[in-house]
Amino acid sequence: MTKLKEEKKIDNLKGQIQKGKGVDVGTMFVKCAHTEGDVVVFKSQRNAFFDIEHTDFTRKILDNSGVRYIIKENNLYVVGDEALEFANMFNKETRRPLSKGVISPSEKEALPIMELLIKSVVGEPAHKGEIAYFSVPGEPLDAEFNVLYHIKMLEGFLKTLGYAPKAINEAHAIVLSELAEEDFTGMGISFGGGMVNVCLSFMSVPVFKFSVAKSGDWIDQQVAMATDETASRVSSIKESSLDLSKEGDLSKIESALSIYYNHLIEYVIENIKERITRTKKLPRITKPISIILSGGTALPKGFCSRFKQILDQLKLPIPIGSVRMASQPLRSVAKGALVAANADESRFKLLVK
Amino acid sequence: MALTGTEADIINCVAGLRLAKKDQIRRRVGFSLEYIGYLCHDLFRRGYLGFSAGHYFLAKERIKTLLAEETPKIDRKLLKEVAGEVAREISGELKRTVKGIKIPVSIRETQKETGTETLEEHIKINTDFNFPIEDESLTLESNISKIGIKTEKEKSDMDKTVNLLNEIYKKGRNND
Repeated sequence: MTKLKEEKKIDNLKGQIQKGKGVDVGTMFVKCAHTEGDVVVFKSQRNAFFDIEHTDFTRKILDNSGVRYIIKENNLYVVGDEALEFANMFNKETRRPLSKGVISPSEKEALPIMELLIKSVVGEPAHKGEIAYFSVPGEPLDAEFNVLYHIKMLEGFLKTLGYAPKAINEAHAIVLSELAEEDFTGMGISFGGGMVNVCLSFMSVPVFKFSVAKSGDWIDQQVAMATDETASRVSSIKESSLDLSKEGDLSKIESALSIYYNHLIEYVIENIKERITRTKKLPRITKPISIILSGGTALPKGFCSRFKQILDQLKLPIPIGSVRMASQPLRSVAKGALVAANADESRFKLLVK
Repeated sequence: MALTGTEADIINCVAGLRLAKKDQIRRRVGFSLEYIGYLCHDLFRRGYLGFSAGHYFLAKERIKTLLAEETPKIDRKLLKEVAGEVAREISGELKRTVKGIKIPVSIRETQKETGTETLEEHIKINTDFNFPIEDESLTLESNISKIGIKTEKEKSDMDKTVNLLNEIYKKGRNND
């Protein structure tokens, strides 16, 4: 009897878990979301690695200190957050499988390492053909590269793992995650590591989506050049202590970061303005729309106020209501992808019924 | 230095295509890819051609000179047409420049604006194909599974969000 009850419990749990997965493959992080009852579980891994000398001794030390690593042939790569720590310690840069939002063409280890990182967060599908929505960037306005190779590689890889993969624009995913109460109408902006992605959505349907190939990495590189620091160190400062609301007593790096943040925000808003003006069939938006800011580059304190301040000066040609940060800026893309996956799975279940 | 016949051919070819790859020029003008590359580079150095993202284009500043010079073999009618497009493009760029920030416009969009989209670009390409990928990570050794992955949990009313999305989806289908 107890056994029967337990089996029923497991079946119920399985039913709850088998609702698809949302995968955010970003320049900085790989993240996967799935539901367990009324809880969303996020598994994440920093999308960076750092090579160190491979000896049995170093390997043992890393094992004992809980540092994640990957070995390929005779090379040892530290992965995850520790990669950034090691890079700072050696005053070098981390290596990255993704550059400007897509698989890096200049990083020879990009594919196998990215695949392993994705596999580690996504795991096995709950059932064969489980739907997995994965985030992809929009076509860049300011770079002459195409995102098709990136999309096809990710799609093919998830298929190899047994999933039924579907691509979703990362800014659109933010709308699905954050704007349910506004009928999925509004604008999602993802300030990621390699790109800024923008999507204007009307009743969950994207009106336009695009990306610009300038974002957090661009800020790090510009600041590194201006202050003679490494980009990894600038990135660490940016992530740990930058306060964009601070007005006086700024260090050299903080001043440079503040200048480049301003430039990036103006650049994005001007591009949005341009895009709205050029969109011929803009739906009639009667109510002011909300703008949701998300992504790692939007994390510093004061970012949202700085964005609002610049938006007030530049003004968009459509009425804007609230401008706010996503409830969890580092999770909203994965969560939005999960909403899309859950919706697909539930529609599929209805069809089967 | 006046243009040679082949150089004038290259100018005409680039003017016709607006944006031309070395190989496209080679196919129209003839000669080897190396020789065309050499001539294009020389025309670029002398300021007749511009070069960006693998494409040659007519340098705006030189179109006027080319029209003024009595260069034989230059297709003056075509060049005047290009000059008109450049003028329209410049006025468009001026509109796009606000507070000193230039809003980038991809080559594709500029082509659409100026109506110079090629036939090739009107064709819809089906990208809905399966591309088999080998799992290259199988050759790697790692301690990630032993140490585990950073996991966070968040209470959420996911079902409510999903239901709302499905309702909108249903409404949309009914309206269709």
